[in-house]
Amino acid sequence: MSDAVSDDRPTHFQEPRLATRRGGRLRVPGHVLVASAAALAGLLALTITGNTLRPFDRIVTIEAKMASKSDFFRDPEVQRLLLREHGIRVDVHRLGSRGIATHSFAGMDVVFPSGQPAAKLVLDQQKRSVRSSRPFVTPLVLGTFRDYAKTLERAGVAVPQPAGNGETLYYDLDMRKFQNLLDGVDGPRGAGDGSGSTADTWNGIGFDDISSHSNSGRVLVRTSDVCESNAAGTYLSILAFVANGNRTPGTENTSSAQSAGDRVTALAERIRPFINLQGMWADEQADSYFSDLGESIAPISLIYEHQYLAHQIAYQDKHGEQDTERVLLYPSPYALTEPQLISLTEKGDRLVEVMDNDDRLRERAVELGFRVRAKGEDDTRKQLDAYLSGHGIQVPTENPDRTKVFEPDLDVLEKIINHVGNCPPPEGDTP
Amino acid sequence: MRALTALLAMALLASLTSSCTSDDDIALRVLAGPELADIEPLLDELEEDTGIELKMEYEATADLAGQPPASGDSPYDLAWLASDRSFLLRLQERLASGDRVTRPESTSIMRSPVVIGLAPDVAKELRDRVPGGRLTWADIADAAADGAVRFGMADPRRSDTGRAALVGVATAAAGTGSALREQDVSCDRLRGFRSGQTLTGSSSRDLIDTYLDHQDEANALIAHESELLSLNATGEPAEPLEIVHPEDGMVLSDFPLLLLDPGKRSAYRKVTDWLLGADAQRKLMERTHRRPVNQDVRPEPRLRAAVGNALSFPDRLSVVERLVADYGDPLRRTADQVVFLLDFSTSMRGERMAQLRAAFAGLSGADETSTGKFARFYRGERITVVRFGGRVLEERTVTVRGDADLRALEEIVAEGAFDDATAVWSALDRGYRVATAAVREEPGQPVAVVLMTDGESNAGIAYEEFLRRRRALGAEAADVPTFPVHFGEADAAALKRAATATGGRMVDANGSSLSDAFKEIRGCH
Repeated sequence: MSDAVSDDRPTHFQEPRLATRRGGRLRVPGHVLVASAAALAGLLALTITGNTLRPFDRIVTIEAKMASKSDFFRDPEVQRLLLREHGIRVDVHRLGSRGIATHSFAGMDVVFPSGQPAAKLVLDQQKRSVRSSRPFVTPLVLGTFRDYAKTLERAGVAVPQPAGNGETLYYDLDMRKFQNLLDGVDGPRGAGDGSGSTADTWNGIGFDDISSHSNSGRVLVRTSDVCESNAAGTYLSILAFVANGNRTPGTENTSSAQSAGDRVTALAERIRPFINLQGMWADEQADSYFSDLGESIAPISLIYEHQYLAHQIAYQDKHGEQDTERVLLYPSPYALTEPQLISLTEKGDRLVEVMDNDDRLRERAVELGFRVRAKGEDDTRKQLDAYLSGHGIQVPTENPDRTKVFEPDLDVLEKIINHVGNCPPPEGDTP
Repeated sequence: MRALTALLAMALLASLTSSCTSDDDIALRVLAGPELADIEPLLDELEEDTGIELKMEYEATADLAGQPPASGDSPYDLAWLASDRSFLLRLQERLASGDRVTRPESTSIMRSPVVIGLAPDVAKELRDRVPGGRLTWADIADAAADGAVRFGMADPRRSDTGRAALVGVATAAAGTGSALREQDVSCDRLRGFRSGQTLTGSSSRDLIDTYLDHQDEANALIAHESELLSLNATGEPAEPLEIVHPEDGMVLSDFPLLLLDPGKRSAYRKVTDWLLGADAQRKLMERTHRRPVNQDVRPEPRLRAAVGNALSFPDRLSVVERLVADYGDPLRRTADQVVFLLDFSTSMRGERMAQLRAAFAGLSGADETSTGKFARFYRGERITVVRFGGRVLEERTVTVRGDADLRALEEIVAEGAFDDATAVWSALDRGYRVATAAVREEPGQPVAVVLMTDGESNAGIAYEEFLRRRRALGAEAADVPTFPVHFGEADAAALKRAATATGGRMVDANGSSLSDAFKEIRGCH
């Protein structure tokens, strides 16, 4: 809610709009009536709030392009804190993170790609040194449902994390074994991945025994567009790392740049079916995963841990218990994503500064499921773990296999992404 | 105090201008799928609450052809469709060819699966045929092929609903468990299914209107769950249609609202915020029977029913285009003719002949597999069987109208006598004369030749002579492909040559079975 007139955007004055909305049933008799009612409401609002005006007398609207991290800026509490304490309103334009980096930034004050590869792409294009902030991290995870996780457990691919009492929410997923299920090929070792025409299908690995439902579809992970999204790109770097024998692609000693490039292309070709067998990508994975039809839409969706935890926290608030149907698969090796808020204008600088220094915003990030690095500490789990256990939500344990996927060099990753997704060339601001 | 007065003056000014001219009170032109007309009553409330009027202009469009950014300029600010998948694929094609176009912002507003509604007696009849009683698209295709199901479906060339239905059925037909690829649509597996279509429309709204006027012409409708529930709620169908969510999956529509003119973004945001609010979502659910996307809205009981597994949409425009082209005009009756040339040399005796009979029984409806149900002979199809040894032993053409015709076909195969020699090229020559006559009788009708042999040609004309005679038959023969089925000790190289020369493809039955080989080339062209 604005406390004063924003002089750079007079048409965005807040109270009159709210007033018209409240008077919703009013069948518009004419503009004048509405206008004067609105103005009166505005006047009242000003009179009432006039004494509590904050030191700033204008609301700054910050134009921001971001992907899944809009979850943070769309949170009503974050919006309230930004507006009340800092006079900032963030107008979110949603776009995939890699899409942000490859499309024009025109008119934007900040961009907030969900991970480092896209952030680097953005930073590389800046001609001046820019201010930025990395307020939190979150691992890439696979969201699934109880019966599917149990099916993977039976196939020897997933291991449940210990839960104190009740059913666990978390499983560790062996990505090497999991890839044998994703390739759509009847594995030579036979065991675990079904056989013949049902090889690598859910029923083929026993889903219809475990569940009352049946699913003759292939074991697939639904992702967003690899050309546009950070999650899909990061997932590709996990697949490439594992397919490369747990080595970061592009780091092998080779005699020539040519053969290094060929090796990367060959690797990309090998992991391409893991993505492409799903057919057309689908945006907003988290929205569909958490919807009522989630299990019908996709047995496994690529999401971020914070999205899942935010769901569990909200679910616990609403129902007084955990959502035990939706469970997470933690890929092993794992990938931690680090979103970066990058300022492109002076207005953007202010938001970066606020994000770096407002403790309440950082606390709120924890409440939204993000892992926040405490000041002067390296640990990013402590605050989140404490918050979860305080709210009756099982705390995910550290993966026993601490193998972390080191993202390949940007140009190597770009090569893999472009090969798998057949992506169009970046747009850029200068032709 | 002076500052406050100034502020008040500005506030008044701001509210006046914002109420009269700004985006608080504007009209947006919306290109909408006709399916969305049922949302119209809610739009007055939207306008009352937000000041934004949506001017809906309904037009049947499968992929927003002619709209930006995929092509040209648009007079529309927004588009509202059942699905934007075909549009996005078209956009992707443009991007891949180097065009600089930006994907428009898109927001899913509701969801509904594309399913089938069956007249209660047909639903019962079909369930009784299937162990467990859970129907699949394959069962529907099977019943369409034998005439038990006569269905209506929107035209996939013009309607995104029809297109979603087509993709769903074709994905089930391919039976790979994943999205359709080029190789899955290289042959048209939907001819049997298509033979059961009796009604269509440029949109499913149009289709339902047609159905209400011609209820005796169809006993099934393929459309959104929401449309079928709404249709039943009108009380106009003689009996409410029973809604079936096929076991082998469905395509889910998410009714996205797209921002075509980025300049209208602020109004677009207000509209989507309003539509996604719990109030609007509840009303959309109650009035249009679509499933809410807002998780705070609890679906009504019948909308809580499981919808089955969503089938993925292909990631290539060419795959969808091929499907749509093969399906063609839903109302144009096309009956294919297939000429089977069957080797009855003595080496076929015994186990091989048993396989051949099993293959024909399978194609006549005995094959219980999902691919078999799609591949079977269908009503209206013309089948010619030519038995040959050292010469043509028997030739018979049957138009499939019912079980008696299918039995007649099986008898030819079952009771035929054998001959000592194998005249492969003479038989193929006869096949082309039958095929050419069929094309002349009904130009444009798809005709193919299937040549099954288990030995080398040792009688009759030579291959070169066959080619010469085929050329002499002219243009009508030139478009008819031959699909040789390699079996036993047949000469694979010679058969491959014949396939290549006629635009067909050889399949090998030795690695699998004659049944699988016949199924593999059904609908190929």
